[in-house]
Amino acid sequence: MTIKMLSVKDLTMHYTTSRGEVSAVNNVSFEIEKGQSLGLVGESGCGKTSIAFSLIRLLPDNAQIKNGEIILDNENITAMNKKQLLQVRWKGISMVFQAAMNALNPIFSVGDQIVEAIQAHNSDINIKNARVKVAELFTLVGLDPQLMDRYPHELSGGMRQRAVIAMALSCNPKLIIADEPTTALDVIVQDRILNQLKEIQKRLDMSMIYISHDIAVIAEVSDRIGVMYAGRMAELADAKTVFNAPIHPYTYALLGAFPSIKGKKRVLTTLPGEPPDLLNPPSGCRFHPRCPRATSQCQQEAPPFVEHKPDHFAACWHPMEVKNV
Amino acid sequence: MSDTNALVTVEHLEKKFPISSGLFKKSNSFIHAVDNINFEIQAGSSLGLVGESGCGKTTTGKLVTRLYEPSDGHIFINDPEMGQVDLASLSGRSLKAFRKQVQIIFQDPYESLNPRRTIFDTVAEPLVVQGLGNIAEREEWVADLLEEVGLTPAKSFLFRYPHELSGGQRQRVAIARALIINPSFIVADEPTSMLDVSIRIGVMQLMIELAQKMGVSYLYITHDLAVARYMCQRIAVMYIGKIIEKAETEELLMNPLHPYTQALISAVPIPDPTFQRAAIPIKGGVSAPIDPPDQCRFYPRCPRADDFCKNNPHPPLEDKGDGHFVACYKV
Amino acid sequence: MQAQTTSSSKITIPIWRVRLNLLWKNFKANWKLFRKNPIGLIGLVIIIIFALMAISHPILMKYVWEPRVYDPVIGYDIEVFAHPSPPSARHLLGTDPLGRDILSQLLYGTRFSFILGISSALISVIIATTIGAISAYYGGVVDMIFMRLADVVTMLPFIAILVVLSAMFEFTGFTLALVYGLLVGFGGQTIVIKSQALSIKVKPYIESARASGGSDMHIIFTHMLPNLLPISFLFMMFTVTNAVFAEAALSFFGLLNIRMSWGIMINTAQAAGYLLAGPEYFHLLLPAGLAITLLCSAFYMVGRALDEIVNPRLRDR
Repeated sequence: MTIKMLSVKDLTMHYTTSRGEVSAVNNVSFEIEKGQSLGLVGESGCGKTSIAFSLIRLLPDNAQIKNGEIILDNENITAMNKKQLLQVRWKGISMVFQAAMNALNPIFSVGDQIVEAIQAHNSDINIKNARVKVAELFTLVGLDPQLMDRYPHELSGGMRQRAVIAMALSCNPKLIIADEPTTALDVIVQDRILNQLKEIQKRLDMSMIYISHDIAVIAEVSDRIGVMYAGRMAELADAKTVFNAPIHPYTYALLGAFPSIKGKKRVLTTLPGEPPDLLNPPSGCRFHPRCPRATSQCQQEAPPFVEHKPDHFAACWHPMEVKNV
Repeated sequence: MSDTNALVTVEHLEKKFPISSGLFKKSNSFIHAVDNINFEIQAGSSLGLVGESGCGKTTTGKLVTRLYEPSDGHIFINDPEMGQVDLASLSGRSLKAFRKQVQIIFQDPYESLNPRRTIFDTVAEPLVVQGLGNIAEREEWVADLLEEVGLTPAKSFLFRYPHELSGGQRQRVAIARALIINPSFIVADEPTSMLDVSIRIGVMQLMIELAQKMGVSYLYITHDLAVARYMCQRIAVMYIGKIIEKAETEELLMNPLHPYTQALISAVPIPDPTFQRAAIPIKGGVSAPIDPPDQCRFYPRCPRADDFCKNNPHPPLEDKGDGHFVACYKV
Repeated sequence: MQAQTTSSSKITIPIWRVRLNLLWKNFKANWKLFRKNPIGLIGLVIIIIFALMAISHPILMKYVWEPRVYDPVIGYDIEVFAHPSPPSARHLLGTDPLGRDILSQLLYGTRFSFILGISSALISVIIATTIGAISAYYGGVVDMIFMRLADVVTMLPFIAILVVLSAMFEFTGFTLALVYGLLVGFGGQTIVIKSQALSIKVKPYIESARASGGSDMHIIFTHMLPNLLPISFLFMMFTVTNAVFAEAALSFFGLLNIRMSWGIMINTAQAAGYLLAGPEYFHLLLPAGLAITLLCSAFYMVGRALDEIVNPRLRDR
């Protein structure tokens, strides 16, 4: 029997800027079970990082959640105030930020920073016990516990990333959000970090949201994949289905845009146009200006995000039937 | 060893950066960023230079365009009239004239265009610097080239500023600027890594088309093996300043011989959830090439290394057949 | 070259006109940004008012006033009994201890201050920008020499140096502008401009220019200087402020060999013993003092408003 860990319904978030309202996240819905990992993939500006910040509620002043419901482990966290959220953050949901090098304070040792995180959320732990916990975490992420007292600049990029992952795990969260954690790392280090993450996730039976623009990484890490475009979710299904039988034209185009070193050298598909400006998104379906299957209906009305096939959701008026991409 | 028909032949190219230990003290320590590398690029074909960060591939690109001065070595360019000319030995007027043959495209579309100059000024700059054409001719040439790179109608792009263009469009401008004086070969330093995925393919395909149309070869520098496969006929793999393997693209990917190449290829994520990838584990990380010891650079991390590798100098590149070169004692 | 010519790319508008249009568009865009800042606007208005004052003086002298009476340096009004006299219908701001019309002096001084301020600013900024660009571009020994020089100059106490120099050599307005410009030009401004130039030097478009065969001069003039001009312009504003103030101080000490300026006005009052003479003699001190304060503040305010536009942090489009 599967336990639903996270349930997001119709999440909508806007940024208010001097040039107008940016519709960053628009009616996004998805669910994650315990121990499952969801990969959010899309290009820059598609809203995947905005969703992450909305979930953990680390939003800047000009951002507002306009609508939607976020239920974490049967607790509705959408309407919580600051004080209640403090309990949820890091213990319920934690986050590994993009460019982790910048997430670490250069004037404190990495161990101290994690101790600080632990103590901030558990007022009854003393420093000695917290440091024991940090040593455990370091071993878990594959770091030598003696590195605890080093400063961030003394560690390599891969090590810093692991330290940030350790920090995200420090309060035993139910759900961890990893936002492009390996983008700045070389491919061999990236491979190690990905393996480590998968192993940790299995061992702790933790749910994970993995955000990336790289579909290859998403393919390896995720059980389910959500494809984002211009603030909306285009398609959501389990990983194999998304790769072998996508129904949204954007997913199909995206899959065709990544060269691979395995298999036959194939012709890559080009998508005309540019990702849209979210200040003035296209009417109706936001993908219609670039979609080869668009009709006038697509321009007038935004397609609803519905279940086209068992456990396979998409927002499209003219879904594709593709086998074995 | 050099093939005199090749368009570009690089021999024993070296670049050492001194680590300064004081204001007037002479430095004893050097960073061997590029250490005695050799490669060729044939006319009409492209070479991919692949490696992780710090391996020296960007430095190589800058050496070949004389943006850095080589510490040693030769860069032979096959000029149709003058035969083999060593770019590394030129200076002054002859260097300036020869710069017409080699151009460069950078990674960052946002920083590679001067924000205060119009697109026309940016693309026409090489013409101005080399003293080619008058104003009317330049306008025409620039407009034509903008159309070629997909910025149509050219008239509307000519006098815009970089900040009015998207990343993909700016990179196309950079490509136009590199092509305007008709070089025979272009160094492309990760030109698509900062672009959105759906834009990347367009730019890559444009580069391939232009290569065929205008007879340009590329030295394509990237850390992404999949992109190198798409763009290049041959690939050379660099590790800490040395080329440790080079071969035809498909041959390299199917049959990598050097342990580092094997580890690298096995670490690349595959966009297929059903594919079981077995990564070859190698310990440690890349170190900076400061006064490296006279042994195989990969020795500290190599799963196959033994005492022979430890006690002998860095292995030379040897042809294992069909133009597949490897620098390893254990192959 | 490129063989195929598509007729759609025929350019009909001459380039110079296109560039003029672009210049105008740029100016309008910058003006729009500037307009948003109330402080800058106030400063600008004040400067415009002073500029009008400066222009009005020669007109008034030629068409309205009698030179014998209203000349700021040698005028003398025999029809008024005692000098200095308080403001009246004849002399709107009164007369000074030597019988000269204060309003006339004020207007004449405005023109002087503008010229002094702007020439100092120009000299200092031209020096600072050139040195900053060259230091940044060439580095090495050249850089070291200029930066150490800048350190020394920054440490110098300005007023003290100016006082000593003007006591040794009689400074006219022009020499003061020159000396001031030189002193400031080699100092702190150079360091800031150099750091801005350094950040430009490492940009890829500079490398592109070099790869095409661009000479050092070409790169400095075509790429670096235009990108440095906004910051140079900004520094000009602050230099004007300081120059006007420095002149006022030196004139107050009676160290300058100039005919008339706001500083001289205060010096005249002081020399005749009216500095602390009480409120009925405020008309001798207030106009000049207020003018100095207002003009200096106005330039500073415009400078602050420009800073928000020019500052690379906010400017990055």
